[in-house]
Amino acid sequence: MAKTLKKAADKTLIKRLYFYIQPFVGYIALAIALSLAVAYLGTVRPKLTQIAVDDYIAFDNFEGLYTVILLLFGALFGEFILLMVNTYLTRWFGQNALYSLRSAVFEKIQSLHVQYFDRSPIGRLITRTTSDVEALSELLSDGVVAIIGDLFRIFFILYFMFSMNWELSLVTIAILPVLFYATFWFKERVRVSFLKVRDQISHLNSFVQEHINGMKVVQLFNREQYQHEKFQKINQKHKEAHVETIFYFSIFWPLVEVFASFAMALIVWYGGGRALMGGVSFGVLLAFIQYARQFFQPIRGLSEKFNTLQSALASSERIFEVLDTEHQINTPDNPSVLKNPKGHISFKNVWFRYNDEGNWILQDICFEVLPGEHLAIVGATGAGKTTIINLILRFYEIQKGSICIDGIDIRELELSELRTLFGLVLQDHSLFTGTVYENISLGNPEISMAKVKKAAEDVEASRFIKKLPGEYEYVLQKQGSALSMGQKQLICFVRALVYNPLIMVLDEATSSVDSETEALVNIASKKAMKGRTTIAIAHRLSTIQDAHTILVMHKGQIREVGNHHELLEQENGIYRKLYELQYKDQSVQV
Amino acid sequence: MHLFINKYLTPYKWTIALGTLFLTAANFFLVWIPVLIRQTMDRVEQLNAEQSEVLSLFDTLFNSVQGSILATNALYLVLAVCGYGFFLFLTRQTLIVASRKVEYDLRNDVLHALFSLPSVFYAKYTEGEVYVRATEDINKVREYFGPVIMYSINTITRAGFVIAMMYIVNRDLMVWALLPLPLLSLFAYWITGYIHKHSIIIQEQYSKLADQAKETFTSIRLVKAYNKEESEQRKFDVLNEEYKEKKLRLDLIESLFHPGLNFLIGISLIIVIWKGGQMVIAEELSIGNIAEFLIYVAYLIWPVAALGYTTNRFQKSIASWQRIKVLFEAYHDLEQDKGSHTDDLKGNIEFRDVQFNYPDATVPTLEHLNIQIKAGTKVAIVGRTGSGKSTLVQLLPRLFEPTKGEIFLDGIPLKNYSKRSLRDSLGFVPQDNFLFSDTIEENIGFGIKGATMQDVEWAAGKAQVLDNILDFDKKFQTILGEKGITLSGGQKQRTAIARALIKKPKILILDDSLSAVDTKTEDAILKSLRNDEIKVTVIIISHRISTIKDADYIYYIEDGKVKEAGTHEELLSQKGSYKSMYDKQLIEQELQTI
Repeated sequence: MAKTLKKAADKTLIKRLYFYIQPFVGYIALAIALSLAVAYLGTVRPKLTQIAVDDYIAFDNFEGLYTVILLLFGALFGEFILLMVNTYLTRWFGQNALYSLRSAVFEKIQSLHVQYFDRSPIGRLITRTTSDVEALSELLSDGVVAIIGDLFRIFFILYFMFSMNWELSLVTIAILPVLFYATFWFKERVRVSFLKVRDQISHLNSFVQEHINGMKVVQLFNREQYQHEKFQKINQKHKEAHVETIFYFSIFWPLVEVFASFAMALIVWYGGGRALMGGVSFGVLLAFIQYARQFFQPIRGLSEKFNTLQSALASSERIFEVLDTEHQINTPDNPSVLKNPKGHISFKNVWFRYNDEGNWILQDICFEVLPGEHLAIVGATGAGKTTIINLILRFYEIQKGSICIDGIDIRELELSELRTLFGLVLQDHSLFTGTVYENISLGNPEISMAKVKKAAEDVEASRFIKKLPGEYEYVLQKQGSALSMGQKQLICFVRALVYNPLIMVLDEATSSVDSETEALVNIASKKAMKGRTTIAIAHRLSTIQDAHTILVMHKGQIREVGNHHELLEQENGIYRKLYELQYKDQSVQV
Repeated sequence: MHLFINKYLTPYKWTIALGTLFLTAANFFLVWIPVLIRQTMDRVEQLNAEQSEVLSLFDTLFNSVQGSILATNALYLVLAVCGYGFFLFLTRQTLIVASRKVEYDLRNDVLHALFSLPSVFYAKYTEGEVYVRATEDINKVREYFGPVIMYSINTITRAGFVIAMMYIVNRDLMVWALLPLPLLSLFAYWITGYIHKHSIIIQEQYSKLADQAKETFTSIRLVKAYNKEESEQRKFDVLNEEYKEKKLRLDLIESLFHPGLNFLIGISLIIVIWKGGQMVIAEELSIGNIAEFLIYVAYLIWPVAALGYTTNRFQKSIASWQRIKVLFEAYHDLEQDKGSHTDDLKGNIEFRDVQFNYPDATVPTLEHLNIQIKAGTKVAIVGRTGSGKSTLVQLLPRLFEPTKGEIFLDGIPLKNYSKRSLRDSLGFVPQDNFLFSDTIEENIGFGIKGATMQDVEWAAGKAQVLDNILDFDKKFQTILGEKGITLSGGQKQRTAIARALIKKPKILILDDSLSAVDTKTEDAILKSLRNDEIKVTVIIISHRISTIKDADYIYYIEDGKVKEAGTHEELLSQKGSYKSMYDKQLIEQELQTI
């Protein structure tokens, strides 16, 4: 029962995969036709040998021999050319299918809701887009065609053998069941031990990787010997896993050779006897000896391909799981349109949690930001500050309450329209690999270099950008960039300004920016906030003091609301305490 | 290959000798198979000519002289085949297993070298380069020990037996049959070389593709916030397209490979039938001989093709070995760790006119550096990024040695202390606060041998991270890193601090390790250090004024030199760089007054 279900599931998988090779169906037909020709040309040669021996060599016919040799060569050359064309052809449509599949997976993942990314490790998502698709390469390219080709070959070999001598044919294939059994046995063992090997390799490599990264720590703490002993244990297991695999291989490969030769012995014995009776010619014997060797190749090939197909199906299952993931955040069917948006934000009794069982991350949040006003959110890590930003952008869906922009619930807006309203300056993950210009323009062709330069000069970011080699064409690396935290933030400010958003969303850096750029960041943030509705997760005193409203958050709730002076007057207020602890140094001088 | 590498083979020389013997034996049995087939066919031909009456099949096979000859030959054939298979099994069990053992030894030695190599070495190479040497390159070298050796022995012994047999049977046909084989070898050599070279290119493109996916997925919020999905898709598709093109270029060559091999093999076989056939007609040869030669040629094909493959692999192994050798040579140059112990360390530190250059760097990182730190005091080191602060503190545990000048610890030159003992008495919290993907307990206990749970809890408490850890489901058994949870920046820093504190060090070095910790927690950590009965010398690098200002003494470093020194108040009154740094941190206030 389970097996038939599995088979049915495999069938649908194959059907869905077919979608990606469907555009090449004509080529596939051609490839199958070519396989047929190749199989014929490859298997006809022993038959031609038989003719050469029995009809010409036996009768001392030089000319006839010559003709057969030409035929043999013709068949060989034809097989060579067709096989080459066929291999490339199958690879070609395979690669094209993989291309579309890869693109589709990427597109799908990219379009999924943010929470999906929270739940799935990035590494897994990358695997889906790259190696899982890669695992399908054989299935989508030469896999199926090669299986058909192997079947053709088996068919032709059997055809030629039986047409020459059916008894001898039966004797030759008598060994098959044993071979099948051996292959099956081997496949099972090797699969298991290969999995072990793979685990051990990844163990070993990640140990090495990690200890190279952390070598200083190892040495500073005098742990060289201890860690080396740890490594030896891993290394030992790695070795053992390999040795186990070697054992199965050293049984299987000799065994296959033995079986193939065993078939040959049977041919010699039985065929020899037959030959004595005059029933079998020498040419036939010669042909059978060759067929016996040829016969095992496609069978072995089939079992190998079956294996790769199995793992390819497993990969495709994972891929379709991604492709089938439902979007949780959708643009409504008839979205409302913001005409002439002003930037009025309101949260009304907003409740949010990540899942139905979890703790409430935000509880009953209410606030309002009038167009052009600034809101500063302060609070400890985990208070829910960032969540508010995530909710405005509709990265997550709230459970209760409503969030409105200019009085329209954001769930009624088109997603891209909603998000266009905002300019973001966040702390992490804010830059892409690419030039400074690309990072600012974000690939939008409407944003010219001149526009970018103008904005950079406005916030004086041009000062440091001009010092970079290549200036605006300087390529930023995501990691190991030469830019400081503050400089990265400046670039984000320029980007936000270039887009001239209605609403600024700001997540200020916690750790101190190097002092030189600090001033620039300040100027930039002032510029960016000027005249715009702003929501800032604030750490800088000036941002907080200047805000029209300060929200003090604690454990998902708003505890205090007001402006700087109002909040300072609250005895035992959180804001006041925070101010004294965190900001008093900064205000000493005034 | 360099002689040095063969030292790894020495312990297994008898295994290898035995393996060679097995392989020779296997090929010896193999070569009898075509001989027996030829003999049988010749006998059949001969008997056919002699015999007059026709027997039934059963009688022919089981009940006649001819039948017993056939059966004997078939039996011999089976025996030869079994002998071949048996010895092939033994060969794999000796030679290939030995190669894994050699690999094991090599890996242990490489890691041993890596653990011993000083930071100067790691400054010279990127982490990626070292990683490739310790993994990929070892794999390639193993291929020399295993497959390359096995295939070479196989090619030599098998070709030896087969060619000898061919020579005995018919010299002319031997020449004809062998003619295309060198071509086969060259072909395999060329193609495998091309495939290898191209695979690297494809691998690079594959990484680019994966990197792009990684970048988009990690910045997904930004992508969505800026409606950047389409342009990300375009970027991905460009790389995707390039990948496809590169793949197809390799596919083109690969499409040549098997058909090409097949073609060359076929040519050999056709030549045997053609020339052999002519010889049979000329009665120089029997049809059995043709069968025999066809099988000989089939036997030679893979060893000969393997020759091309092997040569290619061998070259790769050499290149890899050269890279690994660098590690061993550097290890070889290491001096033994000797010197005095630091049991009664007080913690007076002095840098006297210290200069330091990183390898291959033209500009010194530290120059004419003079610093004095009194035992039991808290000294802060400030300065801009790249001023040399981190380098300076790394000289203390002797991760690096000064290029010029001298560092004294309790009046004794630092180099007179043994590294081990020196590091035992230092608590170091590095800037990147690196943690291993292991349990929290292991990570904190990393600082001392045989740390008890009590020690670990104590240290976690001191570093103000205990509450966070107890909040986790698995408490101290929580696994960090890739396979476990990700700590926040502040939690990481505090865990790294706990790891240093568990050692109860006499000198504690905090290299910008409080940056992600909020001021309140920072205060608590710093206070708990002061409460100790034993006065710990604390060297602290920071950007944050609140962290620095209580220090007993502050050094402001610029371009590897001490620019200003003094207490917070003294430095402020100097109105120099420190003051301006301080002022800049207060810049908000100034901006307000504009």
